[in-house]
Amino acid sequence: AQRHSQQDSHIQYERVGADVTMKCGSMDWDAAVTWTANGTDIDDSHLNGSYLILKNVDLTQSGQYSCYEGSSWHLKYQTNLRVGVPPKEPVLMCRSNNYPKGFYCSWHLPSPTYIPNSFNISVIHGTREMVCEKDIFPKNRCHIRYLQLFSTVKYKVTLTVTNALGKNSTTLTFDEFAIVKPDPPESVVAKPVPNNPRRLEVSWQNPSSWPDPESFPLKFFLRYRPLILDQWQHVELSDGTSHTITDAYAGKEYIIQVAAKDNDIGTWSDWSVAVHATPWTEEPKHLTTEIQIIGETLTQHKPLALRGPGYGDPSAGGVW
Amino acid sequence: LGAGQSIQKTYDLTRYLEHQLRTLAGTYLNYLGPPFNEPDFNPPRLARAERLPSATVDLDLWRGLTDNARLAANYRAYSRLLKYLRGLDSQVGTVELRHRLGHFCSSLQGLVLSIAGVMSSLGYPLPAGPAGPPPSSGTPAAPNDFLKKMDDFWLLKELQTWLWRSAKDFNRLKKKVPPAVVTLRIEARGF
Repeated sequence: AQRHSQQDSHIQYERVGADVTMKCGSMDWDAAVTWTANGTDIDDSHLNGSYLILKNVDLTQSGQYSCYEGSSWHLKYQTNLRVGVPPKEPVLMCRSNNYPKGFYCSWHLPSPTYIPNSFNISVIHGTREMVCEKDIFPKNRCHIRYLQLFSTVKYKVTLTVTNALGKNSTTLTFDEFAIVKPDPPESVVAKPVPNNPRRLEVSWQNPSSWPDPESFPLKFFLRYRPLILDQWQHVELSDGTSHTITDAYAGKEYIIQVAAKDNDIGTWSDWSVAVHATPWTEEPKHLTTEIQIIGETLTQHKPLALRGPGYGDPSAGGVW
Repeated sequence: LGAGQSIQKTYDLTRYLEHQLRTLAGTYLNYLGPPFNEPDFNPPRLARAERLPSATVDLDLWRGLTDNARLAANYRAYSRLLKYLRGLDSQVGTVELRHRLGHFCSSLQGLVLSIAGVMSSLGYPLPAGPAGPPPSSGTPAAPNDFLKKMDDFWLLKELQTWLWRSAKDFNRLKKKVPPAVVTLRIEARGF
């Protein structure tokens, strides 16, 4: 017989481990019915009369449950069962990587809930509530614009997470200066210095997210070490965005990173992307002379057409 | 000392004071005891605390300050904060803390003089007197010990915030006042 399904199904949320009883709509307890889960008939062991009994549900039992009247196969009841858990206390982090424009807060749940959650964030500064503008990407993040600077009053940020099974929240209280942390420096470049076997020239740029390096200058921390050693060497630089390393081991490949901090307040950024460089080394002399001899011999036996600037012509600096 | 060096010296002194205050404030708040020494202590700012010169300023307004207005604001603030701080200095129980507060007050006095030096090197008159009522007048003494401690808490916090602001103020001035040009101007005025 044709099953008729015209009922609007609704969503039913249940906790993991719960016992769930579903009635077949308005059907009597003793009516003859058939229950399906995602279209598959459920055997009678789960039925108590026309009621469906699900004990100690788990995540795998989420799905669409339908109840049909025994003889007419009319759909009498349908629900989408979503098994999940209430939210745990969310993890909230606020940071100002674009001081003095403002700060952003981002959050995540320490463990999944398997059902939809909604987040609400409130930012209080003294007696004033501030708007936290949601970022399109990443999702769980919003940003607040500073209206005033150099405030002695702390900011209080409360994040509340709610789903059908429960609610939880967390609060952060902080001073304006405590959360200032720039992004790492960008475009880090390290180059050997010709004729200087112990030097490396390192340059970088302010993080592009730092809006006003003129008024709010950054200082930098450079760390470098030869790949063959574990011990870093450090140097702090309060002016400029370049530095020449003068004590590099000759001929050894180096790994170099840079971090940034506001000159006066806040904390250091994470380390930049690492770059590698090896100091300049002198061309080994004996090899050069042999190469020159071979070059000259070859040139004598070649047809004239092949001889041109830069091709085997030593004066052009060509090695062959 | 040219204006540029004078500003740099004032900036360095501000950084030194900010660093000093961080440890001094920690010690003092421990002396005051809980809840004042708890990191998350976030008391409402009572009306009493409003008499302190506030470092809080609208960002665009702060950016738009003239050099003279910027320096004058610093000069007035530290002149008044110094008076309050000296009030603290005499009552503190422990000798060691009293000594450190005394030393800090002397350094803060040095900052006030340093700012005055920058202003005169740039040809700006010193503000006639600190804006707002003198510290003690019109405001009754704290009616109880807790409110007295609350006053001290906000004084130290305001001072810390001013030092952060001043670092930015003097950094901005450093960029805007190249030493050479100013020296020339001074000579032209027959100093």
